[in-house]
Amino acid sequence: MGNLLEVKNLFVSINTKEGELQAVRNVSFSLKKGEVLAILGESGSGKSILCKSLLQILPKNGFIKNGEIYLEGRELTRLPEKSMNKIRGKEISMIFQDPMTVLNPIIPVGQQIMEAVLTHEKMSKLEAKKRSIELLMTVGIDYPEKRFYQFPFQFSGGMRQRIAIAIAIACKPKVLIADEPTTALDVSIQRQILDLIRELQVKFGISIIFITHDLGVVANLAQRIVVMYAGKFVETGTTEEIFYDARHPYTWGLLSSLPDVDCDNEFLSYIPGMPPNLINPPEGDAFAPRNKYALRIDYYKEPPMFKITETHSAATWLLHKDAPKIESPIKFKECRVIR
Amino acid sequence: MVDKIIGISKKVIQLIFVTFLLSIIVFYMARLAPGDPLVSYFGEGVERMGTAQKLEAIEKLGLNRPIYEQYFSWLSNAFHGKFGISYKYKQDVLSVIKDVYINTIILGGLSFVLTFLFALLLGIFCAENEDKLIDKAICKIGTITTCVPAFWVSLLLILIFSINLGLLPSSGAYAIGQSKSIASRIKHLILPLTVLILNHLWYYAYMIRNKMVEEMRQDYVLLCKVKGLDKKRIIYKHCLRNIMPSYITIMALSVPHILGGTYVVEKVFSYPGLGTLCFESAKYHDYNMLMVLCLITGILVVIANMAAQAINERIDPRMKHDRGEKDWNNNTAPGTLK
Repeated sequence: MGNLLEVKNLFVSINTKEGELQAVRNVSFSLKKGEVLAILGESGSGKSILCKSLLQILPKNGFIKNGEIYLEGRELTRLPEKSMNKIRGKEISMIFQDPMTVLNPIIPVGQQIMEAVLTHEKMSKLEAKKRSIELLMTVGIDYPEKRFYQFPFQFSGGMRQRIAIAIAIACKPKVLIADEPTTALDVSIQRQILDLIRELQVKFGISIIFITHDLGVVANLAQRIVVMYAGKFVETGTTEEIFYDARHPYTWGLLSSLPDVDCDNEFLSYIPGMPPNLINPPEGDAFAPRNKYALRIDYYKEPPMFKITETHSAATWLLHKDAPKIESPIKFKECRVIR
Repeated sequence: MVDKIIGISKKVIQLIFVTFLLSIIVFYMARLAPGDPLVSYFGEGVERMGTAQKLEAIEKLGLNRPIYEQYFSWLSNAFHGKFGISYKYKQDVLSVIKDVYINTIILGGLSFVLTFLFALLLGIFCAENEDKLIDKAICKIGTITTCVPAFWVSLLLILIFSINLGLLPSSGAYAIGQSKSIASRIKHLILPLTVLILNHLWYYAYMIRNKMVEEMRQDYVLLCKVKGLDKKRIIYKHCLRNIMPSYITIMALSVPHILGGTYVVEKVFSYPGLGTLCFESAKYHDYNMLMVLCLITGILVVIANMAAQAINERIDPRMKHDRGEKDWNNNTAPGTLK
C-alpha cells in the first residue's frame, strides 16, 4: 500500500521575543492507509506543533520554515488558505487535548457537528441533522435526538471529548490527528475514549496519528511509534520494537518511567534534567546533557539515524560500530504491555 | 410561565424602588445646592424686588416649607400626573418636555446606534488585522480621538464647517419653520452626530478589538479551523456570538455615558433637546423641570440595564443559571438522571 501522508524534512519555527524557536527540526515520516502512528515525547518536544503544522493551524507566530507535506501525493505546505480549508476536516482532522474548552460554549453541540458536515458536503439541513444524530450515536452518546439541542456545559468532559470526536470524523477524514486526547480525562474515561478511537479506526479505516507522552496509552493502539525529543525524531520503530528492543537512551528513560505495579521498586524512575531550550538548540545530540550513557562525540556531533531493522532506527552514537556496547537497562516484563 | 411573571414583577418592583430613591436624592440635592430659584422665575426682575416681595414669591412657590414636606406634596402631585410648572417657561413641565424630547431621541438614539455599529465593525476589522500596520495605525488615531474633549471638537467643527466653509449650520435642530423637513434636520444633525461618534467610537471599538483578539485564541477556534471553516465565518459565527453578551452589557451600561455626551453636545450646538433643558434647569434652579428630567434619565438607565440582562440570557444560556436549573433537567435525557 502506498503512503497516505508523507512528511519530508519538515522544519517548523515559532517567532518569540527571544528569537526563533525551532520547534520541529528536520522531521520526516510517512503514514500508511489504516495505520496508527504514535508520536511519543515529553512536554515541549514539539509533538503538538508538528501536528498543527500538518493542518497549518499553527499559532500566529509559528510558520513552516522548510520541508514538504504530501497528502496522497499532493503537496500541502504551499497550498493557499482556501484549498487548505477543503482539506481540513475533510481529509485531515484533529481532536484536541482539553475537551472542556474545545467546543464553542454557546452553540448547541448538534449545530456544531452539523456545521462540520455542511462545510464539506452538499446536503440539506435536515439530512445534515440526521447525519449528526447518527454521529452522536456512533460516538456513544445516549439519547442523541435530545442531546443534539444541548449546550456543551451540559456535558461532562468525557462526553465532550466524544462530541469533539464526532465533529472530527463527521466527514470521514482519511487522517485523524489525536493530540493527547485522553490527557485531560479521568483514568476510567481515558480507557473508554481509547476504545472508541480504536473502534472508529477499525470501522472507518482512518489512519491515526496519536500524540501522547504516555507509553501505556499507545501500547495496544499503535502499530508504529516514533519517539520525539527536542523537535527531532530520536527513534522510530514498530510498537514491538520500541517496547522490547529500544535502542535510544531517551526511549529507555521513557520506558523505565512507566509505573509498574508488579515491580518492588519503591521509587518511580525518571529522566533527570530539563529538555533543552530550542531557541539556541545545543550542538551535538540534544539529549546528551541528560544522558548518562552520553559519549564525548554526543556533545559536538549530532548522531545520524542508524538503521537497526527495515522498520526500526534510532539516532544515537551508541549504535555506531565503534561505540561501547551498552545493554538496555530495561528489564522488560510482559505485564507492561499486555494490560 | 409562572417563573417569567415572577421574574418580571421582581424587575418592576426594583424599578419602582430605584426611581423612588432617585427622586428623593435629586429633590434634596437640588434644593440644598446654593442659588436662587427666583431668578429663573422672575428673571432680571429679582434684583428690583424688595425682601417682602421675595418672601411672598417664595411662599407662593411653596419653597418656604421644610424640604420633606415639599417632597411629599410633590410626590402626591406626581402620582396624580402633575409635575408642576417650569419656573423658567411658566408652563407645565411635561408640555415643555413634549416639545423637545423627540430631538434628543433622534440625536441620542442615532449616535447610540451608529457608535456601536461602527465600533463593532472597526473592532472586528482591527482584530482581523491584528498587529498589522493598519491595526496599529487605527489604534493610535483612535486613542487620540477619545482623548480630545467633545466640546473642543464641537467648537473646532463649528469653526471649520459653519464659519469658514459655511456648509453646515452651527446650532438648532432644524431651520426656522422647517421642523418637518427631513433634509434640514439631517443637515443640523451631521455635526453633533460626528462629535458624539468620534468621541465614543474608539472606546468601544478598542474593547471589541481586544475581546475579539482574546476570543480568537480560544481552543474552540482551533476546532473550527480544523473543521475547515474560513476565518470570516469563524469570526462572525463563533467569536462574535461569544463576545456579544459582554458587548450588549457594555452597550446597556453605556446608555448614561452616551446620554451624558449627548447632553454636553446639545448644549454646545444649542440643540433644543433634553440636554439643553437639563442644563438650564440645573443652572436656574428650575426644580420641577430638573426632577422630571432626572427621573426620565434614571428610569432610562435602569431599563437599559434590565434589557441587557434579558438579552444576555437569550444569547448565553449559562446566564440563566440561578433560575433555569429546572428547565435543563426537563431537557436532559431520562436515563442520565437516574
